Amino acid sequence: MSTLTVLELGAYALASVLYLGFLLGLRARAGRLALAAAVVLHVIDVGERCVHGVNPISSTPEALSFIGFLVATGYVLASLRYKLDSAGAFAAPAALVLLVLARLGPAEEATPAMSPLGQTHILLATIGVAIFFIAAVLAVLYLFEDRQLRRKDFAKMKGRATPLDTLDRLAAGCVSIGFPIFTVAIVTGAMWIARLGVLHGMRALRPEYLLAFVTWVAFGVLIVARVGGGWRGRRAAWLTLGGFGGTVLVLLVYFLRHAA
Amino acid sequence: MSDSATKPGAPKIDVVVIGVSHRTAPVALREKLTVVPDQLDATLKELKTLPGVREVALLSTCNRIEIYAVASDADATLRAIGADLSRRASMLEAEIEPHIYTRVERDAVKHLFRVASSLDSLVVGEPQILGQVKETKELAERAGVFGNILAQCFERAFRVAKRVRNDTEIARNPVSVSSIAVEYARNVFADFRGRRVLVVGAGKMSDLAARALRAHGAVLTVTNRTRARADELAARVGGDVHAWEDLAGALAKADVVIASTGAQRPVLTRELLARVQKVRRGRLLCLIDIAVPRDVEPEAADLEGVYVANIDDLQQVAADGQKNRAAEATAGEAIIEEEIGRFLQDWGGRQLGPTVTAMRTHVLGVVHGEADKLLASLGHLAEKDRAAITAAFDAAGKKVLHQPQLALKRDPGEAVSLVAAVQKLFGLQTAEAPPESDAAPPAAGEGATPRRPGDPS
Repeated sequence: MSTLTVLELGAYALASVLYLGFLLGLRARAGRLALAAAVVLHVIDVGERCVHGVNPISSTPEALSFIGFLVATGYVLASLRYKLDSAGAFAAPAALVLLVLARLGPAEEATPAMSPLGQTHILLATIGVAIFFIAAVLAVLYLFEDRQLRRKDFAKMKGRATPLDTLDRLAAGCVSIGFPIFTVAIVTGAMWIARLGVLHGMRALRPEYLLAFVTWVAFGVLIVARVGGGWRGRRAAWLTLGGFGGTVLVLLVYFLRHAA
Repeated sequence: MSDSATKPGAPKIDVVVIGVSHRTAPVALREKLTVVPDQLDATLKELKTLPGVREVALLSTCNRIEIYAVASDADATLRAIGADLSRRASMLEAEIEPHIYTRVERDAVKHLFRVASSLDSLVVGEPQILGQVKETKELAERAGVFGNILAQCFERAFRVAKRVRNDTEIARNPVSVSSIAVEYARNVFADFRGRRVLVVGAGKMSDLAARALRAHGAVLTVTNRTRARADELAARVGGDVHAWEDLAGALAKADVVIASTGAQRPVLTRELLARVQKVRRGRLLCLIDIAVPRDVEPEAADLEGVYVANIDDLQQVAADGQKNRAAEATAGEAIIEEEIGRFLQDWGGRQLGPTVTAMRTHVLGVVHGEADKLLASLGHLAEKDRAAITAAFDAAGKKVLHQPQLALKRDPGEAVSLVAAVQKLFGLQTAEAPPESDAAPPAAGEGATPRRPGDPS
């Protein structure tokens, strides 16, 4: 493991601890700095790998690392505009876990040269998952704070909470940006599979294809329910988590299949 | 129900208090006992008819309902008032009893001092309670159920409260419920610029909370059952008025609602809010209920996207925020302890005159009575001899009285216990002492303003 990776993991771990400490009364500044440092190290890491010909979507671990990077970066950027410090307690550990899986998990041979269609599919799917990941982080935080507020524990929140309305709107925004990206990813994926099938005679319908489709439907339902049925708050948060759960399962299947 | 609170030797003061407060009862119970302003007069008159009640006053705020009374038989009177309270709350006595506290004599007066000084408040040092205690006195006077003894206790309580406020830091920067309300709403909305705040009911507290939100850029709308008061509040805080009849329409547009009506039943029911949430397409709604009885039906709190804070929730936060006031509170308690001692001393002192007179009347009455009896049996004596005997008896009586009178008058501090001793030794009943200051009841309709249930204490 390179020094850079160690520093990167260390920075994420530190940021996670500091942000969790923020929930318990620590100041947010240290956590913000640690996470910003982690993101900078991560940029350097991704850049360096690209220079050495390892692009972020060339294998599952690379994709996981890239998702972690996108989640952390998305969070850092969003927190410049919104009061999101409490979400850091979820975003930083999430990025850490993704990076740990990517770097400490079983190594994987880079996928041999892919068609542009395949590359587009994987890139979009990765970005889509990262965006859904952020939506899920926001949804978890929503449910957490909703519970605190309903239990009248808001004295403990001490003005540290991210306002529920902000969480709800940001999560909705993530889903409505992520959904078209994910849609294109699904379409390009289907086309890619169809072409591979024609070229290599691979026709088997794998379970993850179905799962990916179910996930897509779940997010579609969420958007329709929000716009049409006024689904907000807890129900929307649970549906976001459901959709994201599907995404994680798809990833997991890929990950296990490649590891095997 | 009560222990004798009179220290040995201290003069007895026949005051009792019985009630519930934020310390003993949740808002769900307090709201059952809260007396709405237009019922206060009738309630006071009813309380006065209870057995043994000579004077009575009723303090009803959103944090406490307390009945102060003057009664010779404390236990019997407290039992009667307790039964009356459970009847008013439509509860069994056994149900309500654990929430009720009683104090008698010295402790009852001390309790009044602590309440008026805001030492018993959840938010220690909050300024509203003194005004509410003053209104309590005025209302009882107007109802004609007040009297000299309570008047002295209340007048002294006002002075003690002022002293506590001036001599300690207790009232400095009190954490206000309205600022906590804003803080609560901040957990739901990031900022209030352009947010619509609906004020339901035109109480004093909603005024403060609305102002606080407006200062953060919120747009205010007021709705109230009485249109004129809505207009008045809207003009004062800078907002527009929405018709009370279209409460649902007003709610549909709102982001934050501040409720403080004087209604006996919840105005914002679960059914209404569920209907409104449909129209709002699930937009988050933050309800701040500072009324007692509550305006938001408790069942509404689990509606999707609806967040409710009631007065207890807010005050708990306020109280937590000022735990560091313990030192100030201790200083306040010391003042109370000193003042209660002084008050009872003065009380005893004021009973001195009547006691001396009663003692003289008693002793000289006995002496003259015996002299007359003797003279009646000695009919043969000359007028001169009769006069000599009468004078001798009279002198003997006065000599007996001389030393006790001197002792009573010499040292007022000691006199307090001596007065009690003399009363006991001679079995004297003194007339009620005159009031400490001018406590002439004001003309009806003058001075007091009706209390609003939304005002916390």
